[in-house]
Amino acid sequence: MTPAFLLQTLASLVAILLLVALAAWARIARSAPALDEDTARVLIAEEFPDHAIGPVWVAADGGSAIARSEDEALIVYRAGDGYVARSLPWTRLAEGKAAGAEAALKLGDITAPRARFALGEGAVWPPQLAEAAGR
Amino acid sequence: MIDPVTLATPFFILAVILEIVLARLGKTRTHYEGKDTLVSLSLGLGSTLAGVLTASVIFAATLWVYQHRIFTIPMTAWWAWGAIFFLEDLTYYWFHRISHERRFWWAAHVNHHSSQHYNLSTALRQTWTGGLNGTWALWLPLAFLGFPPPMIAIEKSISLVYQFWIHTEAIRKLPAPVEAVFNTPSHHRVHHARNPRYLDSNYAGILIIWDRLFGTFVAEDEAEPPRYGIVKNLGDFNIVRAVFHEWASIGQDLWRSRSPREVVGYLFGPPGWSPDGSRQTSTQLKAAWARRRAGAAASPTQAPVSVGADRSETVPG
Repeated sequence: MTPAFLLQTLASLVAILLLVALAAWARIARSAPALDEDTARVLIAEEFPDHAIGPVWVAADGGSAIARSEDEALIVYRAGDGYVARSLPWTRLAEGKAAGAEAALKLGDITAPRARFALGEGAVWPPQLAEAAGR
Repeated sequence: MIDPVTLATPFFILAVILEIVLARLGKTRTHYEGKDTLVSLSLGLGSTLAGVLTASVIFAATLWVYQHRIFTIPMTAWWAWGAIFFLEDLTYYWFHRISHERRFWWAAHVNHHSSQHYNLSTALRQTWTGGLNGTWALWLPLAFLGFPPPMIAIEKSISLVYQFWIHTEAIRKLPAPVEAVFNTPSHHRVHHARNPRYLDSNYAGILIIWDRLFGTFVAEDEAEPPRYGIVKNLGDFNIVRAVFHEWASIGQDLWRSRSPREVVGYLFGPPGWSPDGSRQTSTQLKAAWARRRAGAAASPTQAPVSVGADRSETVPG
């Protein structure tokens, strides 16, 4: 490693930090309003277009939602100003750990290891959703 | 040797600043998210550092092949630059296509696509492992033909610099003759989209003619704005995950594989391949989309909907 290379790398690091600070200051992320049942249903339908979507449960903070499709749980949750979607067997929801105002669920996926769900007062985990109609 | 990428780096930084400022002023509909930008730019820097580790091997291999060349092509001839422009761009097309359609190479390229955003910082979201999976060998025939290694390196850098500015939503469509011949922001938005209809398309570097020639061209449909990212978007902004997740998934699949066929399928099959068909490849996703479209055409009463008016171009990411 030459001094010039180290200097270039250091300058690049500084440039990255300045650009990230500028991007954060500009507040130009997409608006990501809290999900309600209707918007969650639309989002889930877009992510799982071949599934019949039954009842939908929305987390207390509107940052995540779960729909039941027969014996599957269709999950969406916010990451930054976007959303991540995964499906699991419905019975796997019971493996989620609820503690205080939050439930954490391991998704068993390297690309998205766990999802968190804000629980409202008196909310139970897993969500109690009746089985949906067939596909 | 003058490296066009090094020369262009100040331009890259200024262009990102300009895009952010224009978005802040409401002049473009570009979006930046802090953590996403940090990951993209860090992957760019990491790619440069990783490239240093493999550069000497790649250069030595190129030099060795050049020593066994069939012609001697002068760097000073105008026709030589014209020829390498087309040949390098054709090579890039096939490199890029294999990097999407075969999982072993997709594993190195996927991080360029894992952002749910499409802005100039996404252009810098480059691979860390591309030097290890051997795709650089696709450029060796150019050295064998007789193009000097520095000439190949310069042309590759010119292509990389060209591809920076097309990573933007700030430019909608360019004049038709330009859209017909060149890779443009519109064509490349399609390439970065995860909508099933847009998957595995528009692999071009500089010239879109290769996609038109080889049947992989898909035009951007104003009625269906691209939704960016990968089929299964990453669950967080962990840089290590962004770089290595597909390699880790391959390792997991190989560990569980039960036959040589499965090993080959998991390594060199298309992304999404599985022996039991429990996952979906791009081809299957596109076929399912085509079936849904045919069904919708038969019963056209369902109107498209989106989550919130201001997210119409972005849902779900």
